[in-house]
Amino acid sequence: MATGTKSSEVLENLRMELRRGCLIVAVLAQLRSEQYGYTLRKALANDGLAIDEGTLYPLLRRLETQGLLVSQWREEDKRNKRFYRLSGEGESILKQLLAEWESINASLNKILQEA
Amino acid sequence: MSKTSSRDSSSSRNSTELLDRYLQAVRFWLPKAQQQDIIAELSEDLHSQIEEKETALGRSLNEAEIEAILKQRGRPVLVANRYLPQRSLIGPVLFPIYCFVMKVVALCYLVPWVLVWIGMMSLSSSYRAQHASSGWFAAIVSGWSALWLTAFLALGTVTIVFSVLEYLETQSGFLENWNPRKLPPVRDPHQIPRSGSVVELVANVVFEIWWIGNMSTRVLLNRPEIRIVLSPVWRYFFWSFLLLALVNAALAGVNFARPYWTVLRASFRLVTDCTAAALFCWMVKAALIAEITGANISAARTVEITNVINLAMARAFPILLVAGVVILLVDAYRIFRVKNAAPAQLKGQVPAAVL
Repeated sequence: MATGTKSSEVLENLRMELRRGCLIVAVLAQLRSEQYGYTLRKALANDGLAIDEGTLYPLLRRLETQGLLVSQWREEDKRNKRFYRLSGEGESILKQLLAEWESINASLNKILQEA
Repeated sequence: MSKTSSRDSSSSRNSTELLDRYLQAVRFWLPKAQQQDIIAELSEDLHSQIEEKETALGRSLNEAEIEAILKQRGRPVLVANRYLPQRSLIGPVLFPIYCFVMKVVALCYLVPWVLVWIGMMSLSSSYRAQHASSGWFAAIVSGWSALWLTAFLALGTVTIVFSVLEYLETQSGFLENWNPRKLPPVRDPHQIPRSGSVVELVANVVFEIWWIGNMSTRVLLNRPEIRIVLSPVWRYFFWSFLLLALVNAALAGVNFARPYWTVLRASFRLVTDCTAAALFCWMVKAALIAEITGANISAARTVEITNVINLAMARAFPILLVAGVVILLVDAYRIFRVKNAAPAQLKGQVPAAVL
């Protein structure tokens, strides 16, 4: 029982590590079209990449500080919302990240076929 | 109807208040410059979630449902912490070194402190009378309070030093500059450094010459102004320490020629250390000073001085005993280690070698 719990913990930690990098790529890709936090979260969840708000908002702020996103406060449905979209630099970085991801994917597929 | 409406309005007011309280608690932990921005966005997100749920249910959420949403978001301090840059008093680069230093401090400072305290309490009647006069429980409490203070100061100082190092490391990255060539050579725990054997050999020979030249008689000092005479038991100590020094010099010579520990030599070292510890313990308890005479000192005064010196030496007994036990444990561990070493570890040794 304890071994089962431990192995599921290990799996969960590894899964989180695997997802962490992918989530950044997914957020950048989603923000090719402007969205605010809540709709972005829903969109990611609908596409199978659920992300909790405690992770998403700090990530958005970090990406904005790094110059990959730009944001703007705007009123919509009588409420002020912060809209994010990819910056010029963000687009270039996203392109490179996608190329890197494809390269990793291809290498992994090759290794799995060899095994 | 009006009752239901009044209850709904009160529940909605409570829900809003709960939300505001939550946002206020998160705001408290945020840096001032970002408070407004982060709280506005968090508030908007929470309102969007509540609104979506209300649309799905076709009614306003009650206080319990709002509470569930806030609980799912997490404790305010944790929510705020996610917006802050990752900080640590001692970071992952220095942390293993910090742990190592803490262990060294505990082993070399606190453990001997405890052992000496136990030794003094068990073996020194004057120390016990001084500290356990109001009972053993009070003595233990007072001992442990002193230990906690010592531990707090020692470990606290290490922590402060490392937090300063961490700060300097983040500013200058001095730990990035390292050279593999400067790493220490591979250590073989069974090897006896030849330099150590040479030092031991020379020290023992120098000691023997000095010992024979100066300590062979009972008269320790013989000047016109003062004369110190040791008790007759001194001759046992003289010959015993001389013999011990000769044996140690011989062992150092063998260790130089064959610089790897064997069970026999490690056992020999245990025996010599055991003998030295016993001799020292006996010596401090033996009232070694027999007589002191001085030109301008009265007989009563010299007796008093003699007694004070002998008593002071006797008081060192618990400390010597504890030190002796520690040395013997180290020697015993060496025998255990050599006995259980894998053959590959004992490289350079002739398997059939006796010494």
